[in-house]
Amino acid sequence: MNQEELSTEKSLKLINRMIYEARGYFYESGLSALVYGITIFFCSLLAYAMAKGFMQLAFTPFWLLVPVFFVQAFIQMREEKKKKVKTFTDETIDYIWMGYFLTVIIAACFAGITYKSVTVFLFLTAYASFITGMITKFTYHKIVGVLCMVIAAYSFYQQDETIFLLLALVAILVWIIPSFILRAYFNKQNKIPGNDSLSAGESM
Amino acid sequence: MFKDLDPILHSQLRLAVMSLLISVKEAEFTFIKEKTNATAGNLSVQVQKLKEAGYIDVVKEFKDNYPNTTCKITKKGIKAFEEYVNTLQQYLNVKK
Repeated sequence: MNQEELSTEKSLKLINRMIYEARGYFYESGLSALVYGITIFFCSLLAYAMAKGFMQLAFTPFWLLVPVFFVQAFIQMREEKKKKVKTFTDETIDYIWMGYFLTVIIAACFAGITYKSVTVFLFLTAYASFITGMITKFTYHKIVGVLCMVIAAYSFYQQDETIFLLLALVAILVWIIPSFILRAYFNKQNKIPGNDSLSAGESM
Repeated sequence: MFKDLDPILHSQLRLAVMSLLISVKEAEFTFIKEKTNATAGNLSVQVQKLKEAGYIDVVKEFKDNYPNTTCKITKKGIKAFEEYVNTLQQYLNVKK
């Protein structure tokens, strides 16, 4: 880009182009979503198996989410370091999911993992997914958000051990499938030369 | 009576940098360089001018043993950018 004379039209065009370029930045490998999704999926299946009496554990399987939380935080920190740009959208999404997990953890600590509380978690997941879809304009998340609301509403009439199967289904829809979509998009984007996240060429 | 366009912003590369930074929280130097297609030397000079005007904050640190520069627009920068766009719109309205 050289320092040629700017007309008013040129200035506005340049502003529009640069804003469009900056908003198009995307860096999300989908790894954290995959880690969470798989853990919630297996915890739900274990909870179902325990409730059905197929197996016994000395603790509630959902406690397995605690060590996974630290693993996920480590992955998140590593990914944040690789980002060349921090967008307002990323920040908003992070706050939404942080708020979601805090609410779920606090509710689980006080109310326990009862069938009613699982219904509440399903509604919270639906809400977080829908909002994420609206902010990122990711249609998949919007549709899944609505679908999860239907599943959550259905779970009111399914207050038995099968509610854990609904939770496993939601884990697949909200975390596991999007993580593969994000991964595919991430790999495709990183194949484009010059789009890697290395900070080589730094001169300042 | 029209206001004069801010001379700090009325330069192609500086305006491009400010337009990029207005839409994000912060951006690395390499990202700005890639999007503006500017040379590292020229971009460094223009970024320095924006910093001196108080329009952006520049943070230099090490990331994975490499020097890394991050730029972020300031409140003063946002105000100047908004005024610049408003003035541009006034000019365009008169031309119509």
